[in-house]
Amino acid sequence: MNLSWIDWLIMLVYFVFVLGIGFALKRYMRTSNDFFLAGRSIPAWVCGLAFISANLGAQEVIGMGASGAKYGIITSHFYWIGAIPAMVFVGIFMMPFYYGSKARSVPEFLRLRFDEKTRAVNAFSFAIMTVFSSGISMYAMALLIQTLGLFHNIIPDQYIFHVSIVLSAVIVLGYIFLGGLTSAIYNEVLQFFLIVAGFAPLVWIGLRNVGGWQGIKQTLPATMTHSWRGMAHASTNSLGVEWVGLAMGLGFVLSFGYWCTDFLVIQRAMAADSEVSARRVPLIAAIPKMFFPFLVILPGLIAVSITSHMAGAGEGIGNTSSISSTATPGKNIPLSENHPHGIIPVKVDPISGKAIFNADGTPVYNYDLAIPVMLLRFFPTGILGLGLTALLASFMSGMAGNVTAFNTVWTYDIYQAYINKKGTDAHYLWMGRMATIGGIVLSIAAAYAAKNFNNIMDALQLIFSLVNAPLFATFLLGMFWKKTTGHGAFVGLISGTVGALIHHGLTLPADAVPGIHGAWITLVHTYPSDMAQNFWTAIFAFSINMVVTIAISLVTTPRPETELVGLVYSLTPKPVETHLTWYQRPATLAIAVLAMLLVLNLVFA
Amino acid sequence: MGLDIRIPLGLIFLITGGIIGIYGFVTRNAPEIYEKSLGINLNLTWGALMFLFGLVMFVVGRRQKWQDDPVNPRPWEADSKSRPRH
Repeated sequence: MNLSWIDWLIMLVYFVFVLGIGFALKRYMRTSNDFFLAGRSIPAWVCGLAFISANLGAQEVIGMGASGAKYGIITSHFYWIGAIPAMVFVGIFMMPFYYGSKARSVPEFLRLRFDEKTRAVNAFSFAIMTVFSSGISMYAMALLIQTLGLFHNIIPDQYIFHVSIVLSAVIVLGYIFLGGLTSAIYNEVLQFFLIVAGFAPLVWIGLRNVGGWQGIKQTLPATMTHSWRGMAHASTNSLGVEWVGLAMGLGFVLSFGYWCTDFLVIQRAMAADSEVSARRVPLIAAIPKMFFPFLVILPGLIAVSITSHMAGAGEGIGNTSSISSTATPGKNIPLSENHPHGIIPVKVDPISGKAIFNADGTPVYNYDLAIPVMLLRFFPTGILGLGLTALLASFMSGMAGNVTAFNTVWTYDIYQAYINKKGTDAHYLWMGRMATIGGIVLSIAAAYAAKNFNNIMDALQLIFSLVNAPLFATFLLGMFWKKTTGHGAFVGLISGTVGALIHHGLTLPADAVPGIHGAWITLVHTYPSDMAQNFWTAIFAFSINMVVTIAISLVTTPRPETELVGLVYSLTPKPVETHLTWYQRPATLAIAVLAMLLVLNLVFA
Repeated sequence: MGLDIRIPLGLIFLITGGIIGIYGFVTRNAPEIYEKSLGINLNLTWGALMFLFGLVMFVVGRRQKWQDDPVNPRPWEADSKSRPRH
């Protein structure tokens, strides 16, 4: 791929701004509070955009485009049922405790509500996960730069991967080191608008090419253009999940577990300038979030809808006209050889440079390239630079979100809690900067680990789901049941994770071999797809945690109620909202968000 | 924080939109560049739209400029007990 100077110039402008914001904010970083909590002074809309932007990392943009191309608009469940209800819940019910308790991090909230050991479990597991997530983002970005040949003919091919890693690391390090959380939040807002500005024209031009949404509907099988069709049974939809698993596993356990407890996103809301702002943050974030499927999933659908009769489709043209309008029942994943692949390129072995084929001789398609190939196909020089900037921005926002969450948890919940309790504020500010460097260095190590061990991505996904799945039960009980005890929470959390591990060891998705994908103890049950297995693992983990926490709490002594004011729903005065007119209240916003969600689901049912 | 995000946000859109728009204007008679985008001069229209958005953000950011100095006392340093819980 050869870019012209104008494309490079646009990318350069972006990087200058990213670092410039860090420099401009440096003089405001006077205390650790400024660095880690942005001085709790950011308006709600800014935090709200940062809230979704931090989550809009590589896995989102590339992964959702790929899923759109593979499974269709059904992927939007990850945005709609898999995020919005949880975001409304955290804004309305949980934010008063996070913000009002004056906790500086989610693990610290656990210490205030429960005890030191519960905090320790959360702090350590969270810190490790953020480092790996940021490393995976970095790896994915370097891999994409290498695949697209962005630096081709500029630097020797064998160094492209390393240069990409170092460059992204230096830039993210630079702006967080200088401006802390504020810098990360400000850059996330820039990234948000750039992602919209880069992808909106792509979707517009792509839709024109394929004849609009109606054209996509005519080209693709019906299961790909309806989000709820065939959800009654796992075998009749492309995800291989039935609606109970979807609603409980994704819609409840996994999504609430992420949006309501993950410090990466909660930190953005905690930086808001007042409690009512903090409560609005996830609600404001929910509005663009619910329309993001049109920016990141739709390009995937467009990419597979482009057929041979449109000029210059290049290689990998599928005979899409032969596809019947409904997928064959009984196949849970319609990725047969006549699954449409439009302009999706064939997967190429990075070492030999040859195309990869299945055992039966059919080519393997690289769905991860759905969005990048769309950019290259439709964008002329000039706006192409903007599209690539948007792509890079999404990778960096994902990394930066993890790094800021890491430096805070490291400094407040690990360093200050266990290593040096009596440091001055200036010392903790210094430590935060050092932790930023440390976090980036560890991320680089994680990126190289991901490069060198193929299975590490699968293993990490598995560990994330095992650790995250039970978490929400702990928070739910802690915030809404005053008799929950620290011992109960601790034992429940551990049992939930162990339960998830055992469930994973006893079950297997269809078509997988025992091992990393499950059934390493013995095979008891087979799920129709890995997604179904993942959702049910989460449901089990959550339920076990809930039951064990309640049981232990009943036999241990709860803390006196006076200590729990501000931490438990029934003991905390309801937030005063009399100074707000009805439309300013978070609840009004929440109802509007839920109504929009309902309409979207009906339109694309 | 003393820096209003709308100012850098406005500026980056002014500059990027400006570059893309001017490039689109210069290349308006070069149809071979726009074969990819179905004959539409995406650069000119989208660049202009971005420029406009940047202008609005920049102007609003300048007018509603926060105090250019770090806030003192900070919101958390103020006496939290005297304020209503909201």
